[in-house]
Amino acid sequence: MFKPKYTKEIIKLENVQGTIDSIVSKLKEDVGKKLRRRGGVVGISGGIDSSVTLAIAVKAFGANNVLGVMLPEKDSSDDSKELALKLANKFGIEVIEENISGALNGFACYARRDEAVKRVIPEYDPQKDKMKIVIPEKFLNSNLPPVFYVTVIFEDGTERSERLPMDEYLQIVAASNFKQRSRMSMLYYHAEAKHYAVIGTPNKHEVMQGFFVKYGDGGADVMPIGNLYKSQVYELAKALGVPQEIIDRTPTTDTYTAEQTQEEFFYQMPFEMMDLLWYGWENGYLAEEVANGLNKEIGEVEKVYKNFERKKKTTEYLRMPPIHNY
Amino acid sequence: MENKIRQFIAEATFTDPEIIKNDTLIFDEGIFDSMGLLNLINYLDTEFGIAAEDSDLKEENFGSVERITAFIERKKAVVK
Repeated sequence: MFKPKYTKEIIKLENVQGTIDSIVSKLKEDVGKKLRRRGGVVGISGGIDSSVTLAIAVKAFGANNVLGVMLPEKDSSDDSKELALKLANKFGIEVIEENISGALNGFACYARRDEAVKRVIPEYDPQKDKMKIVIPEKFLNSNLPPVFYVTVIFEDGTERSERLPMDEYLQIVAASNFKQRSRMSMLYYHAEAKHYAVIGTPNKHEVMQGFFVKYGDGGADVMPIGNLYKSQVYELAKALGVPQEIIDRTPTTDTYTAEQTQEEFFYQMPFEMMDLLWYGWENGYLAEEVANGLNKEIGEVEKVYKNFERKKKTTEYLRMPPIHNY
Repeated sequence: MENKIRQFIAEATFTDPEIIKNDTLIFDEGIFDSMGLLNLINYLDTEFGIAAEDSDLKEENFGSVERITAFIERKKAVVK
């Protein structure tokens, strides 16, 4: 098969409008014919992925057949709602707000998470302090899988970070995942009440590197941007008329109390670079070709390739449906 | 000690111990992932009293059964 020479421009979409048209047409077909639903529900956060997904859904089904649901909880950032409303207004859809803090309290999401944080940093006071999970930079060039740290930002602005032992790490993640799973439940409520499909918002990296919660944000009927690189999502955003404030916003996880970028929590590199490296790896370009194209050391690209391979392999579980062929 | 570590890895991952040779790269081969690493750190602490520092978390120390064994021996020698 012909492979174009690897350059920094290689993932730039040749025909943005054509890509939009093709996704819209498939989405219409999938939801209308395969799933036999008459519209779509999209959870909107004011982030770029959900905004592009919503704009595509509006093109596919019409604004009258799309419902936007804002799903904040007590740790959500304040500007999410404002941006989500601006988006809904721009595309003329019905939008509702469902605050899931009560449901999360019912699941003891916050209490379970904070209990695990306190076992590692006893001074942590969830009423006053903020917390997040990070992978320290010193591990970025390691060939081992990453280990996670909890960082507490105390009320007075001082910080303390500690490496998370296995049990505490697992408990914090499991508790936090109530957020995405509660959102999924609420989206399905509205979808079923209207005979709509749930339109999922993960992009290609989230799907393939496993940056989603199984049966949480990974629980949806279709994922129209699931095959797009992040920089391609931005290309679509501009063409679809997504508000500039949303395009300019740094992608965050919006999961923990302290502000945290997706790069810091999971991807470990800027998305523009990740897109190019993932493309090279996925399409069988030699590390040398990619290194030349990006002015990087071959060893560095080889390390990233290894890391991608490991991530894809170890997150297969998340992409698997239940195994029932016994 | 190598057998003990092999057994631990095999039991933690439902892997046939025969597959895990002393020089098998347990992370590269996908036998262990990041949860496996955390599990291993925990195991070294409870079983051998070895506290792995951040600076110890390298492939040279954790990449295979023989490297883990050598790491434990080095750590124990420092304590003595």
